[in-house]
Amino acid sequence: MKSVRAKKEKSQYAQAQPQRRPLRIFATDPMLGRTAGNRIAVSVDNERLSPGPCGSRISVIDYDATQRRYYTPVDLDDPAILMTGGLEPTESDPRFHQQMAYAVAMKTLENFDRALGRRLQFRGKRHRALRIFPHAFYGANAFYDDGLRALLFGYFSADRSDPGPNLPGQTVFTCLSHDIIAHEMTHAAVDRMRPLFREPSNIDVLAFHEGFSDIVALFQHFSLVDLLRDEIQRTRTGISQPTMLVQLARQFGYATGSGRALRSALDVPDAKLYSTVTETHQRGSILVAAVFDAFFKIYQKRIRDLIRIATGGTGNLPDADLHPDLVRRVANEAATTAQYILNMCIRAFEYLPPVDVTFGDYLRALVTADYELVPDDELGQRAAMIEAFRMRGIYPDEVTSLAEESLLWESPGDLPAVPVEQLPQMLMQGVRSFSRNTTRPDEETPQEADGQDENSEADISGQTSAVLQQYATANAGALFLDPGRKISVRGFHPVFRVAPNGQLHVELVAQFAQLRETDDSFGGLPFRGGTTLIVAADGRVRYVIAKPLDTPPISDSRLRQARTRLERQKQFVALCDAADPVLSFTDDAAQASRMRARMGFAMLHAGVY
Amino acid sequence: MCAATKKKKKTTTTKAVTITMYDVGFGDCFLVRFPAPAGEKRILFDCGSIKAGTATIDDVVSSVISDVTDADGNAKIDVVVATHRHKDHVSGFDNEAWAAVEVGEVWMPWTEHPTDPKARNIRDRMNSLALHLQTLAGTGGVQGPLTPAAISEIALNALSNEAAMRTLHRGFAGNPRRRFLAANNKGESMATITSDVLPSVTINVLGPSRDEEVIKDMDPPVGQSYLRLVDDTTGNMRATLPPFDNDWTIDSGEYAISFPEIVVNDADAAAIRRSAEGLEGIVAAAIDKAVNGTSLMIVLHIGKLSLLFPGDAQWGTWNAALENPDARDVLSEATFCKLGHHGSHNASPVDFVEHVLQKSAWVMVSTRHVDQWPNIPRTPLMTALAAKTDKLARSDKPQTVPVKWFKSAKGRTTAEIPLT
Repeated sequence: MKSVRAKKEKSQYAQAQPQRRPLRIFATDPMLGRTAGNRIAVSVDNERLSPGPCGSRISVIDYDATQRRYYTPVDLDDPAILMTGGLEPTESDPRFHQQMAYAVAMKTLENFDRALGRRLQFRGKRHRALRIFPHAFYGANAFYDDGLRALLFGYFSADRSDPGPNLPGQTVFTCLSHDIIAHEMTHAAVDRMRPLFREPSNIDVLAFHEGFSDIVALFQHFSLVDLLRDEIQRTRTGISQPTMLVQLARQFGYATGSGRALRSALDVPDAKLYSTVTETHQRGSILVAAVFDAFFKIYQKRIRDLIRIATGGTGNLPDADLHPDLVRRVANEAATTAQYILNMCIRAFEYLPPVDVTFGDYLRALVTADYELVPDDELGQRAAMIEAFRMRGIYPDEVTSLAEESLLWESPGDLPAVPVEQLPQMLMQGVRSFSRNTTRPDEETPQEADGQDENSEADISGQTSAVLQQYATANAGALFLDPGRKISVRGFHPVFRVAPNGQLHVELVAQFAQLRETDDSFGGLPFRGGTTLIVAADGRVRYVIAKPLDTPPISDSRLRQARTRLERQKQFVALCDAADPVLSFTDDAAQASRMRARMGFAMLHAGVY
Repeated sequence: MCAATKKKKKTTTTKAVTITMYDVGFGDCFLVRFPAPAGEKRILFDCGSIKAGTATIDDVVSSVISDVTDADGNAKIDVVVATHRHKDHVSGFDNEAWAAVEVGEVWMPWTEHPTDPKARNIRDRMNSLALHLQTLAGTGGVQGPLTPAAISEIALNALSNEAAMRTLHRGFAGNPRRRFLAANNKGESMATITSDVLPSVTINVLGPSRDEEVIKDMDPPVGQSYLRLVDDTTGNMRATLPPFDNDWTIDSGEYAISFPEIVVNDADAAAIRRSAEGLEGIVAAAIDKAVNGTSLMIVLHIGKLSLLFPGDAQWGTWNAALENPDARDVLSEATFCKLGHHGSHNASPVDFVEHVLQKSAWVMVSTRHVDQWPNIPRTPLMTALAAKTDKLARSDKPQTVPVKWFKSAKGRTTAEIPLT
């Protein structure tokens, strides 16, 4: 029976959907025990959801490939579930697993959106959204699969004889670990922004993927302030010692690195490690340790006044319980700092070259991106970061000193402006997608090349692509590209950022890439070059971030850089060969594409490489 | 030092070290002999095979014992070295004839120590994995880069040959002293030892290391995580029970009707299964590498000569040795080198062959083609060696062995390297 409604109820005010949707997750890895306070409430952007849950960018599909069966999909819009702010966390209900996977994946995406100043899209030729399979297979592994465009989470039985904190033989679900979900989601996001980072062209590339994913997982975890509050009070160790935060991370089940990264954060940083460690995860954890180091220094600075106030200047905290106000404030500082660092780390992504990334490149990207937003480094984040990298022996190529000015990416010489007035449609699309209340998800198209086809172009309008192509070819020299080879436009999008002082920054980021063929000593991968351009809203090019090929015409110093890259890629192939036990078993055909075979995350996460 | 002297056919008065490579097919068996005041000294490096050459392994054992028998009819070997426990290096010791051979010392890697807890851990894990892989390969339930037959072969190679190991640990006549060697027992970078039965001989031990980093190769993480999927009581894969009550399941047909947007097509389903399985091949390769990684890497200094026997040591051990200046020096002075792992890529680093190995060094390779290792011996490696030295002998191609430097007879190739 249609009931009568007041006119006002049809107004925008009454019809508006809530901005946020509350959901619940396990805060610490249930694999590591069932402590009270393990369940926390989080919130994600409210969007239309169908059973799964399936939103505009993520679809959770509960298909179990080992059992060959589907588990029932959850409808998060069910009133009973909405009323309680999400299903109660439990291991035995697959619908909660779906909820948790969605919640943590969306939280991770939101961090990216906010920090990047644009919405990451996963739509491609073959897929509408990123798929998440919370119970994909029976196995002690979880990974992002670029071919399937999906996150696959395994489950397995705890050891009968050595179950740890679980019941013997109990099923352990990797999809119930916040850190693992965030880590895998980050792989997917990185792959979307820089698909060519999947090709291990030097010893840092895969390590960067791993380290960066660990960083996002770790700092996202630290930004859950309710959790921090409880833990700070519970652990009761000196709050100005790094051990407390490390303990937190371990307790959180910092699963993917097994706490290894933070162990190295506590050790005296060894500048020799970066030049000697070769294993991917270990190398990645050097990066994590460096960022954690910077985070901790900033956190210490921020709580100094709180400690002074709480102890009357003596710095001696009581041995027993801490004052709850102090705990709350310290927790807030830790969470806020974690969010700042996270934003800084993600923001730096836009300032990376399209190919062949190294840790040194990332340092320059961190410094440049932060400099653009916060020129004065009021929080001291940049200085702390530079110092942390320096202590671990991470030095960028071709840089004369570690002073901030030297670390910034090169500004271009004489370069005409990018003709942005021909690209209004692109800008408007960016504005629409970033602004609240205007999103129409079905209209959004991704602005980068679909990573599935490695040589594909960005999915941008023909007009935009033509304009950019022309610009790149006409200015190939200044962009360090080879005009004699095909230049692919890999991406072009606007980004919108708000500085701490409230100022709005609008930038455009363009990526160009090219390649040349190689011989067998490269194991099936080409030698790639490329350039990222950071362009101001008026078309003026602010930064040129280039990895040139070794083909002319370029200056001597750039040629030297290119040749070093080439050599480094060859050496990395040789290193992989020397350590690879499978090589003796492969015939000539398999050998020709051996580097491609080493590209997948499944093997990397299984501990194979 | 390596002057090209023509050897006389009769017994020569020039003192020389004789190194005999027995043709065991795919395996190693090397006998080193040199004159000493108290009589000829003999060191045997390995005796095993997984694919016979021109003679069976038992025939080879007879040849070896005959070669070490003195005029008075007593068979004596001063040191028996078992570089690692792979069948192709120890299977020959499963033979009753050894009970009559008097041995002075038996050298094995520290990972063979019967009571050292770390050693036991490593051995136990290797055995579990090998046993399990063998069971699995037998049922044909494997995918990946290696065929079930190959996996089975690898597993068999790794499974401890109990009788042979018994001989090494407790057999032989003369109550030999057993020594379990490591590269760095007391924190030094390279071990230097001597032996009562080999006076005036210095021995460097360059592997296996006790370093955690290098040990990881011997106990690979992929093996550990793989074992989580194995039922320790039966050795089979754990029964994969559904993780949830059946009542949570939806029939595929009904699901396709109710939720058409989120159906998984067959290709994707198969792809998911594939990505999760097929680890067996990788694990098998990892175990193979792990056991090889336990290899003793020994340099014998006899007079002015230095003889390098690296067993099947892999990249982990080699890398540690090449990075260590003292060890690198020792390697660069080697007069003779037995090529590691039958000429595989991982056992002879490019750095060693190109920059460290002496030009015109003596090199011997005991190898033979086997199906599961299409890349052994590795052709580019053999080519590079041939370019570096003409004193190269390979047992799989006896016709290419230069008569100028080596004496070839049925079932054996011998090098006589002058001591002066």
